Amino acid sequence: MSYIKELCRMVSGFHVPGSGDTDPGVPELRFSPKIILYPETVEEVSSVMGFASQSGIRVFPFAGASKLFLGNPVIAPVVALSLGRLRRMLFHEPSDMVSTVECGMEVREFQKAVGRENQLFPVDPPCLASGATVGGLVSTNLCGPMSTRYGTCRELILGAKAVRADGEVINLGGKVVKNVAGYDIPKLMTGSLGTLCVLVEATFRLYPHQPCSTTLVLGFHNHVSCSRAARAVLAADIVPTCFEILDERLSSEFEVASGAKRSILLRFDSFEEAVAEQIKQVRDITSEQTSSFVKMNDERSCKLWDSAREFPFSRKAAFSSKLALPITASIEFLSDIESNSALSGVEVRCLVRPARGVALVSVVAPDEEAVAASVFLQDLVDSLRGRIMFSGIRPELVGRVKAWGDFGESLTLMKGIKKRFDPADILHGEKIFPVG
Amino acid sequence: MDSQAAEITTRSKSRIASELVRILGPGAVISAEDELVAYESDGLTGYRVKPLFVVLPSSTEDVSRVVALCNREKVPFVPRGAGTGLSGGALPSREGIVISLSKMNRILDVDIPNRVVVAEPGVVNISVTEAVSAEGFYYAPDPSSQIVCTIGGNVAENSGGVHCLKYGVTTNHVLGVEMVLPDGDIVTIGGPTPESFGYDLLSLVVGSEGLLGIVTKVFLRIIKKPQMVKTLLASFERIEDAGASVSAIISSGVIPAGMEIMDNLSINAVESTVGAGYPTDAGAILLVELDGPGAEVSVQVPAVSRILRENGAVEIKLAADESERQLFWKGRKSAFAAMGKISPGYYVQDGVIPRSSLARVLGEIGELSKRYGLRVANVFHAGDGNLHPLVLYDPGVEGESEKAEELSGEILRACVDAGGSITGEHGVGFDKKRFLPLMFNEQEIDTMNLVRCAFDEEGLCNPGKVFPTPRTCVEPGMHKHGSETSPAKEMGELF
Repeated sequence: MSYIKELCRMVSGFHVPGSGDTDPGVPELRFSPKIILYPETVEEVSSVMGFASQSGIRVFPFAGASKLFLGNPVIAPVVALSLGRLRRMLFHEPSDMVSTVECGMEVREFQKAVGRENQLFPVDPPCLASGATVGGLVSTNLCGPMSTRYGTCRELILGAKAVRADGEVINLGGKVVKNVAGYDIPKLMTGSLGTLCVLVEATFRLYPHQPCSTTLVLGFHNHVSCSRAARAVLAADIVPTCFEILDERLSSEFEVASGAKRSILLRFDSFEEAVAEQIKQVRDITSEQTSSFVKMNDERSCKLWDSAREFPFSRKAAFSSKLALPITASIEFLSDIESNSALSGVEVRCLVRPARGVALVSVVAPDEEAVAASVFLQDLVDSLRGRIMFSGIRPELVGRVKAWGDFGESLTLMKGIKKRFDPADILHGEKIFPVG
Repeated sequence: MDSQAAEITTRSKSRIASELVRILGPGAVISAEDELVAYESDGLTGYRVKPLFVVLPSSTEDVSRVVALCNREKVPFVPRGAGTGLSGGALPSREGIVISLSKMNRILDVDIPNRVVVAEPGVVNISVTEAVSAEGFYYAPDPSSQIVCTIGGNVAENSGGVHCLKYGVTTNHVLGVEMVLPDGDIVTIGGPTPESFGYDLLSLVVGSEGLLGIVTKVFLRIIKKPQMVKTLLASFERIEDAGASVSAIISSGVIPAGMEIMDNLSINAVESTVGAGYPTDAGAILLVELDGPGAEVSVQVPAVSRILRENGAVEIKLAADESERQLFWKGRKSAFAAMGKISPGYYVQDGVIPRSSLARVLGEIGELSKRYGLRVANVFHAGDGNLHPLVLYDPGVEGESEKAEELSGEILRACVDAGGSITGEHGVGFDKKRFLPLMFNEQEIDTMNLVRCAFDEEGLCNPGKVFPTPRTCVEPGMHKHGSETSPAKEMGELF
């Protein structure tokens, strides 16, 4: 296989599985590439992609490999292209609150770096502790509890450097917070699962670190009380950084509200006086509904938010799913799934992020029941005019539980974009567009 | 126009006119020369092109049938909202049709619990806020032209406004669109949910300057009015000190809703027209609006006041009540129009720089102003570095308008050299396409063309805009330059 030798010459590091050479620490990839490449420069990435494009070799770019459970399985690519050695912070101008980083940099490392200037990269995606990288963050657009206030990385990305499927290096967007010159291709890359380009650098808007942070845990005896409280919080003159609703199982497992049927988690970050005032408001507007009201700003709150951030992807389950719903439907979602017999005998856990209209679900069940649960969830989402994606699908269920719900009329346009950016589909289009 | 093209136009014109009348009815097709004049330009009146026809559809289906006809007949078409754009984005094509969305001006749904308003593209920006204001909500993007400009135009240009520092621009407030693709197909992208999956097509459509299709319905995110709003008016002897205050405020951890700077020339122009209460002897003023929970704003007001004083503010005035606050903003929003009071002509520029370069670039603009012998008034969204230098000139003086245009171009170069952008909210349109290569190389512009080709293979939708040279869609991943339309054919007439 002469192309293997050719590829090895192009990069600073490589590993050929089964060849006996030293493995530089490749993570579990869920497939077996013929070669794993470790470029150290954008030029090396460009050379690889140019060669792959001309030779029709399929390439799978990755960095932390922490979120490979998303999307459809990849069809064995020849080359696994690690971006893990592109991990520098290239630019940080504190007074502009803008920073550019290479995509192999871990999100936590990036956050620590900007934190030294008292600034915040306000994204808390799952897998943060297991090496989530900036590249993976952009390509999956996954987010965590802080998305309530700050949105996803789509709202923060200002510019991107990427290597096209044909090897051309492109710089799009910019380094300023307001810019409408040309199409917003950096945003297009968010959530594209690396199927359009190989992202190598990204520029983000940052926020100031807030001086005071307090977490509230509200417990409820029943769904109706919780729903009322959630609506009151949404309608109040407060700006929570995080706002989540937990079902009974999660309330118990997160050890937040013992015996509660539901719990609401809130976090406020601001000046001390403003945090205190907002907590008072929450107490006032929910006092008739709550069974417990706990304020915390210690280790326990960190642990709690870690648990909320990692749910449901850290779980061993038949599948996990993320649902995008209208706000009111998301508040009622817990009731919708609990009251339905389609899910009887299925172990369901659910966390709702009402301000984002997001519900996160984990389903533990035998195969047939799990498939039935996925069908139920899909139908429910359709009836609510929402969208759904399934992930971490147990291998036995792949094909029976589809990774993506209906993309609707967007599908043809999405395929058109993919065809233009990567005509030979060397960048694993099957992650989004199932084969056949 | 060559003779062959003229012949084709003449022969086709009556057939196309008949078809349009059949689709829309006679009252919705404008073909009289004197009536077409009103559509020759948008807010950038220096460029004028008379279209073949203007049509006024009333529904998505109307738009779809008209676009399908254009596609069949290979007639270019240009969508148009209120025509307030400042980059020539709605400049007609000489051989084309203008599709005016002004009749599609209904708010279709107001869903307060889900915080969504569904509007047709011809709805005026401020009408969205008016529709939800009584419920305590508003639509955040607020361009200065918000009492006239329409949602469709806002989507096309990804409009901003004075409050986008904290709340973002249009792309952060559009949840979904229904649009007619350039072949006439109707699609819905996104919808009433705050999040979605798959490729983020919405981020391409918002800010696409009407090149990807015609938006016929928009799902807008509305937000709750803040509990407290406080506006500070600080005056400075030097504009550099006002600029330094902006960075210092944000570095302190406060993100104001808006921060606007006006220089002495702008202050005096505004005062002579609106009488906003600005100090006419100040070198510059900085408006800072703080909003949010009452307890938060109450802490921020003294903190920001202290920063302003530390950075040389001569006087700080807190708007005493809502009417004074509105007056402060009225002055700012009237700044462009007020220039008419102090100059017979002015050219509005729109560039962006990193905040940290503010003092340096303002100095460079001052130097350019001296070199060209033309006054430049500075009004800008200081929080996000979005400059709007107004180059003042006299169109009656031979060569002065060209000089003003050249000076404007030099300002853009200074913005890009500082690491900024050629446009923050007005768009590239027809006017600035020649500057796009200052920011992007051929491969990068080709990459943008891949997007356009995925939507509009024929290149019929608002041609001649954004891209500095014509590009076709030969085959996926490939491109061809210069064969689509000759530059002369697509050029507007520069008056």
